[in-house]
Amino acid sequence: MTDNSSTEEMIRLLREISGKLDRILIQGSADNESDDGILDVLDVMTLLTLPDHLRTTATALFELGSATADELAERTNKERAVESNYLNQLVRMGHVAKNRKGRKVYFSIGEGLGK
Amino acid sequence: MALTIAIHSYKGGSGKTSFAINLASAYASVGKSVCLLDVDLKAPSSFNYLLPEAKHWVNDIFEGRYGVMDVVKDVSKEMGTKGAFYVGYSNPDIVAVRGISSKDRKWQSKALKLLMTAKRDLSNAGIDIVILDTGAGVDFTSVNAIAVADYVISVGRPGASRQRLMEQVIGGVYMPLDKDCYIIENMCHNDNPTDLSGKKFDLPVLASIPCMCDVAVRCDNEVLVLTEPDHAFSKKIYDIMESLDKITS
Repeated sequence: MTDNSSTEEMIRLLREISGKLDRILIQGSADNESDDGILDVLDVMTLLTLPDHLRTTATALFELGSATADELAERTNKERAVESNYLNQLVRMGHVAKNRKGRKVYFSIGEGLGK
Repeated sequence: MALTIAIHSYKGGSGKTSFAINLASAYASVGKSVCLLDVDLKAPSSFNYLLPEAKHWVNDIFEGRYGVMDVVKDVSKEMGTKGAFYVGYSNPDIVAVRGISSKDRKWQSKALKLLMTAKRDLSNAGIDIVILDTGAGVDFTSVNAIAVADYVISVGRPGASRQRLMEQVIGGVYMPLDKDCYIIENMCHNDNPTDLSGKKFDLPVLASIPCMCDVAVRCDNEVLVLTEPDHAFSKKIYDIMESLDKITS
């Protein structure tokens, strides 16, 4: 093998590696976007996939904008402790944000954490 | 709180927009304060060309640029209605339509919140009836509007295949969102009826509107309930309005 042909072969292999790295980087960023979307955004299509009890809670929260567990329970005609449990489930799923203002805890539909 | 009615169809070409504009006009003609919003941002409605122009678009509400009361225009003087008649149009410019198609789920989630806020603002402004003319089928623009509404009216043409599609939308969208739904059978022929009553979902058929060739043509140029209240189509619309009044009172 001449010097010229070995250099050409090296360039070909480097291009092949570069192409593979590009594909890995694109794949990685697509996976991240997908994770962010599923975990952090509550849109109406995701709302439709929630179990009945969580969907009722989330829909009421969309209507109220921001609310305490008491205010939400008043809207859904359920016990405060029950709504508090459902809200915290939605917080753990990443769909609902929880903020303390003074002595009260307010819940609101999350803005999406990853973007 | 304003009564919010989403006019939806599981497939395009059902006469949904003609029904929406005529129902809104019927309410305004009897003295109700009405707001008709075209929320089909992906396929803006023809009533953009039928009613007087406005300065802003419904798109501006979803983008958070303006509140709903900055966007809607009172056309009661031009249309000759007894009650206030606000209308909001979606932007028919192709750049705006293309832009909507590329919105992500985060934008759609925010759009739902802004539409909820718009509903509250319209109530606070003294509007009695809000009519949302939605897009056909199941996508973000239509389902966001359905989620905001108190009642859903599904306008459909009769036929067995369409009935199957309607059942899918009822079971997969209206029911999970806990909506009170009613069906309007439009463009009916005697030998091809759709009848959902007694079937799986047992939804009430509020009215069956016969197929009338002149309605399809005239609805592009006029609002029939206002220009010819005695027309068979107009009478059906007024009957539906009275039925809705009984249901919601």
